[in-house]
Amino acid sequence: MYKYVLRRMFLAVPVLLLSSLIVFALMRVMPGDALTVLMGESGNIGEKELAKVRKDLRLDLPYYQQYGLWVWQMVSLRPGDSLLTGEPIAVSLRKAVPVTLELAALAMILGLVIAIPIGVLSATRQDTASDYAGRVVAVSGLSFPDFWLGTLVITFAAIWFHWIPPIGYTSFWDSPWKNLQQFLVPAAVLGFRLSAATMRMTRSTVLEVLREDYVRTAWAKGLGGRIVVYKHALKNALIPVVTVIGGQLGVLLAGAVVIETIFALPGMGRLTVEAILYRDYPVVQTNVMLVAATLVTLNLVVDLTYSWLDPRIRYS
Amino acid sequence: MPTQDPKGTYNGVSRRQFLRRAGGTAVGLGALALSRPISKAAAQGASPYTEWIPANTKAPKRGGTLTRASAWDPPMLDPRLTQSVGLYQFAGLTSNRLVRYAFPDEASGAGDMSLKGDLAESWSASPDNRVWTFKLRQGVKWQNVAPLNGRELTSADIKYCFEAYAKEGVQTFNFKEIEGIETPDKYTVRLHMQTPNVFVAHALAEPISIVFSREVLEEDGDLKKRLIGTGPFVLKEHTRKVRAVLRRNPDYWDKGRPYLDEYIILMTPDDATRKAAFRAGQADFVWMASPSEVEAIRKTNPSASVQAYHNSAVFFGLAMSQDKPPFNDVRVRRALSMAIDRQKQVDTVFEGHGILGWGVPYMYFQEKPLTAAQFGPWWQYKPAEAKKLLAEAGHPNGFSTTLFYYEYWPQMTSQVQLVQAELKKNLNIDVKITKLDYTTYYGRYVESKWEGLCWGFQSGHAVGLDERTYQYMHSKSTKNFFRVNDPQIDELTTKLRQTPDPKEQRAITKRIVDREFDQVARLWMPYDNGFIVAQPFVRNHASIALRRTDGYGSPHIARVWLDK
Repeated sequence: MYKYVLRRMFLAVPVLLLSSLIVFALMRVMPGDALTVLMGESGNIGEKELAKVRKDLRLDLPYYQQYGLWVWQMVSLRPGDSLLTGEPIAVSLRKAVPVTLELAALAMILGLVIAIPIGVLSATRQDTASDYAGRVVAVSGLSFPDFWLGTLVITFAAIWFHWIPPIGYTSFWDSPWKNLQQFLVPAAVLGFRLSAATMRMTRSTVLEVLREDYVRTAWAKGLGGRIVVYKHALKNALIPVVTVIGGQLGVLLAGAVVIETIFALPGMGRLTVEAILYRDYPVVQTNVMLVAATLVTLNLVVDLTYSWLDPRIRYS
Repeated sequence: MPTQDPKGTYNGVSRRQFLRRAGGTAVGLGALALSRPISKAAAQGASPYTEWIPANTKAPKRGGTLTRASAWDPPMLDPRLTQSVGLYQFAGLTSNRLVRYAFPDEASGAGDMSLKGDLAESWSASPDNRVWTFKLRQGVKWQNVAPLNGRELTSADIKYCFEAYAKEGVQTFNFKEIEGIETPDKYTVRLHMQTPNVFVAHALAEPISIVFSREVLEEDGDLKKRLIGTGPFVLKEHTRKVRAVLRRNPDYWDKGRPYLDEYIILMTPDDATRKAAFRAGQADFVWMASPSEVEAIRKTNPSASVQAYHNSAVFFGLAMSQDKPPFNDVRVRRALSMAIDRQKQVDTVFEGHGILGWGVPYMYFQEKPLTAAQFGPWWQYKPAEAKKLLAEAGHPNGFSTTLFYYEYWPQMTSQVQLVQAELKKNLNIDVKITKLDYTTYYGRYVESKWEGLCWGFQSGHAVGLDERTYQYMHSKSTKNFFRVNDPQIDELTTKLRQTPDPKEQRAITKRIVDREFDQVARLWMPYDNGFIVAQPFVRNHASIALRRTDGYGSPHIARVWLDK
């Protein structure tokens, strides 16, 4: 097991290196740079002044030196400063990461709380009204884009109830109630999409497992329906579901970009989008690498979960 | 438990039945939605709202918190390094200028551009307009925050600040026009200009000309993190992407003001969320672009007060690479102008609540907004004549060109597409449109090496006559983004900044505008007027022409009070 984990970690190195090269190159290929934003709309900065700012920001170095410098900063866990604000990136991340983590965790919890029971219900009551309702919900979740659903929820909440989640961000430790008010609605919107894919996969796999011989044996033994479904069928049906959930984590992070913008949450999504728009190279590069490392780690965790769900699976 | 056996026979609703029922319900709901009558105001584009809200006559009440959901968030707090509206939506509240434009509660109307003293009590120019003397208000204190700790503001502070502006940053160009600064005593500042300029006081009244503190710059090396001034509010907190909180300055020199205890700006990038915040009472005033949006919000907030914003100039137009063929030929520029139906844009894109488009604020040369006829012959929609003119210029079969733009708001895309369609239909000009992100657009635009067409802008941070004429139209100015290169305009704009008599100024400005229209030097496009919508208890929040209270006109907040 440990050897397997170590091998996977070793294999992650080229993945991360390739990611770093791609993001570094893409940022340089994009036209425009942070200097134009720093200039504002004045049009009043001369070439000399621009050259000075470029030097201060080390944008005058050849690309290979810029890349080497950045990789060294990442390895030494000192990712540098934002070109736009001058704030150390570590500080920006310390503010933004907890927001996105909380949003993603809540969305995941809400998504799974909705998806698994409805998926099981759909499977066990195939082609009944409740199955169709569950499937409509699932297809809706897949079809409705986050930006549309988020905008709809916030607009109609304001029109019908004269209420929207408090704008801004309050830490859970400062005010748990206000924090939950701010996060529950966006997490529900984000979780709805996650729940859709999970719900459909749960339904399919539970349906498949319910047709297995050992389930028929369980029925024949006279076990109760709840025990058959939840103890014998569901656990075995979960492996593909866990794979889907792992795959959805990327979608969750992408969705967080939109949801954070609509609900004005200062998370990683907004930080990254702003950095891309303003060509804040170090911030974009660091954020992308953080997300890449997170996804690599989560995929490993998902793979390791298989052996817990199905003891026949062994890693060596 | 399961009503389903493993073989899959069903005992409930069939798929066909379910789809039929669901489809019927959807069609019914759709029909219901479509059957709602389109409102008359939206269809006709009429604006029943007032253009000016005069000062409230009641005695102002003190206290309370004003909240606004804002689209903007400043990247930093250093006024030397950014002219972003995100910063000036509150920098004008923490800091003062030497002079300022009239506040809404003292202005005669939306077009009142008169100057008032801010840190300066009085000012005068030498006969040749090269030396300007400002007499400072006595007893003005910096905010009682370390390292200033409430010390008195003196002329040395002004000298230091202006020299720092000239030395580094985005305002260098303007402040470099000051040749030297004298401080004969604690309360007198004398500016020696390199060239005669009658608009020095106006330039210093621009929202971006705030006075910052020496101590912070010396201690921090920049002003990126702390903004301490002499203004009515102290910046208590600025958390990027979350909020800015401004607390009343108890030691403010304008005794009794401001009236509010706090002004909170919530950084809210999404437009729908800002409107929802207003509906839900989390924001006290909000900007709306179209009459139909106002009408929609009035359904849930019928007592909201609405000011139809009064735009006296536009900021966007079709910039042509007029230093190169074919746009260096005035006939081509005139043909383009005559082939575009601007009134149609006003009627359709802006629902009738917009202006046809001109670049110099009308109040600088006439009393009322321009009528279509006042633009002259080349600005009337005459496609047949346009076609003829283009043929005379050697392009009887049209030509191909490019147009790049950044979508500042959705209506802009509609405008760009209308222009593209009309140029094709009327002149057989193929326009290839490229929509860019802001940074790419901005970089390409100000670099001024592009070809073809661009949906160009002039900035909104400065509203003075010199800014709108010399700075944007003189061929040697770094802000001449539209690439105007006309000896007559150069001569007139230079002469204007040396003409002290207001009557003569108006006459020269009129000649500049007429020349601009005649040469189609800048092809202005229609622009929305928009609306400021406020909760019914907000008083004295009206916006003045070119200075919206939620943007560069933020100093107005010092006069706002809450009637509740």
